[in-house]
Amino acid sequence: MKIEIATVLENKLIASNIWKMKMTAPGIAEQYKGAGQFIQILVQSSWDNPLRRPMSIAAVDGDQIVIIYKVFGRMTQVITEQEAGEELDILGPLGNTFRWGDDEFTPVLVGGGVGLAPILNMYGECTAAGQNAVLVIGARTGAEHFIDHEPQNNVFLATDDGTAGITGTVIPAIAISLKNTGKPEILACGPEPMLKAVQEFAAAHEIPAQLSVESYMGCGIGICQGCVVERVNGNVSEHSYHEKYSLVCIDGPVYKSEEVIIG
Amino acid sequence: MADLGTKIGIVDFENPIFVASGTYGYGTEVSELADINDLGAIVTKSITRYPREGNPPPRIVETPSGMLNSIGLANIGVEAYIETMIPLYEELKTPIIMNIAGSTEAEYCEILEMTESASSNIAGYEINISCPNVKAGGMEFGVDCDLTEQLTSRLRKLTERLLIMKLSPNVTDIAAIGIAAERGGADALSAINTLVGMSIDTTNKESNIHFGFGGLSGPAIKPVGLACVHKVYQAVDIPLIGIGGITCANDVLEYVLAGAAAVQVGTANYRDPDVGNSIIIELDTLLDKNNMGSILNLIGKVQLGS
Repeated sequence: MKIEIATVLENKLIASNIWKMKMTAPGIAEQYKGAGQFIQILVQSSWDNPLRRPMSIAAVDGDQIVIIYKVFGRMTQVITEQEAGEELDILGPLGNTFRWGDDEFTPVLVGGGVGLAPILNMYGECTAAGQNAVLVIGARTGAEHFIDHEPQNNVFLATDDGTAGITGTVIPAIAISLKNTGKPEILACGPEPMLKAVQEFAAAHEIPAQLSVESYMGCGIGICQGCVVERVNGNVSEHSYHEKYSLVCIDGPVYKSEEVIIG
Repeated sequence: MADLGTKIGIVDFENPIFVASGTYGYGTEVSELADINDLGAIVTKSITRYPREGNPPPRIVETPSGMLNSIGLANIGVEAYIETMIPLYEELKTPIIMNIAGSTEAEYCEILEMTESASSNIAGYEINISCPNVKAGGMEFGVDCDLTEQLTSRLRKLTERLLIMKLSPNVTDIAAIGIAAERGGADALSAINTLVGMSIDTTNKESNIHFGFGGLSGPAIKPVGLACVHKVYQAVDIPLIGIGGITCANDVLEYVLAGAAAVQVGTANYRDPDVGNSIIIELDTLLDKNNMGSILNLIGKVQLGS
C-alpha cells in the first residue's frame, strides 16, 4: 500500500447518479492484487472533513485505475467535480480480494448500488481469463443501469420498479440466472439489505458465497479499529480482541458468507 | 536546523512530535507508509489486563472538522503485548511509551508490574484515566482528584521510568486533576483525551455510534485542548504533552506557546500515517524562519492581555 498523487484522466456520469473515474496511479496499480481491493480518496485538502473516502476499484489497466461510484453525500458530490488533469491524493491498494480459481464453479456475480465496482471488476477478470460468469446487477430503477439486460449472455438486470430487466430485488434475478448454471458460487457486493438477502439465499440453497462487506471506514489500514464486522463464531465476550470482530479494511472486505453477521 | 529536542522528565526526545495512543496501533503497523523511526515517540494503543474485543459497530463517524469514536479499548491484553510487541521495539530507534488502561487501581498496578518485570526498552508509561468509551476504563479516576493522586502515587512506586498521566477534558476543573497527578508523583501530564460527543442520523433516528456517545477528536477540539493545556500549565510545574486536533507545525507551536513541551498527533494519522514526519520537517522550517531557536525557550510563552 502507498499514498500516491493520482492524475485524473476522465470523470463522467454513466447512469443516473453513477459516475466513472479513470486515473493514472502507477504505484498503486503495480501493487494491485485483484477485484475486491479498494482505495481511500482524500477528497479535499481542508480539514472540514478529516477522513478519506473508501472506493472500490472497478478495473486496473496498466498504470490506470478505474472507480465506479454512486453519489450519495456531499463528499461523493465533490468527487464528481474533479476534472481531467487534476490531481487526487489516494491511498491503496487496500483490503483483500475475491478468491477464485476453482474452475468447477461458475461465478455468479451479484452487485447493487455502491457495490457495483468490485463486481464489474470481477466480471472483467473472469472474461479475461476465459471463465464463464453470470452477472446480476440490481438497482432501484432502469435509469441507474448502464449495461443491458441480456439473459442470453448471462447478464441479468433487476429493478425495484420494473423499468428494466427483472422486477424486484436481485434475489428473483439470481434464481432465474441459476436455471442454466451448473455448480454456482455467488460473489456479491452491495448495500447491507442486499448482502443479507444474498447470504440467506445462499445458505437456503447451499450455494457457496463470498460477500464484499461495506463499513463506515476511518483509516483503511487497521489503526483506527473503526470498521468492524461481527464474526459468526466469534461469540467470545472477553479475552477475544479480534476473534469477535474483524477489521473490514485489512481482514476484508471480502468474507466467506458463512463467516460474518450482516446487519 | 532549529533545535527540536525536548525533555520530558528524565527522557530526552529528539523532537516533540509524538503519535497519540489509539491512533497508531502498536507502532509498527504503519511502517509501510511512514518512517516511524523519525518520530519523537510512539504512544501505543491502550493495553488492559486482558484482551478486549471492543464495542459493536458503528464505532466511528466523521463530524465537522473531526470524528467521534467509540472503539471500546479493543486491544491484545498485556500478556500478548509483552510477548509479541515489546520484542519488536528492540529494533526501533523511536522511544515507545506504553499506554495503560485499567478498571481498578489494582489492575493498573498489575499491568505496570507485569511490564516492568519483563525486559524491555520502553521509555515510559502513559496512564489512561480518561477513556470515555468503556464502562470501566479509568474515567472514574480521571474525574476525581483523590483517586488520581492515589493511583499516581501507587504507580510511581512501581517504576522509575517516565510516568505520564493522561487527563480528560470532561471535568469541571482540569487543573485540579493535574495538580493531584503531580502530587502523586507523575513526571508529566498529557492533555487532552477526547471530549464526549454524539451524532444522530435523522433519517432513521439512530445514533451514528452504537452506544450513543463517542469521543470527539480532530481539529474541532484544538481550541479546547489549547485551553486545557494552558490551564494546567498555570497550575503545575511538571512538563505537559499537548494533544487535540494537531495537523501542522503551526498547531504544534500553538500548543508549545500554551505550555506544552511536546505534542501528540492523533486523528490526522488516519488521513496520513506519515503526517508526523511532515510536521517535523515543517516545524524545523517554521522555527528557523522566525528565528525562534529551541522549542524549550517557547514553552508557555503565550502573551495574554493584562
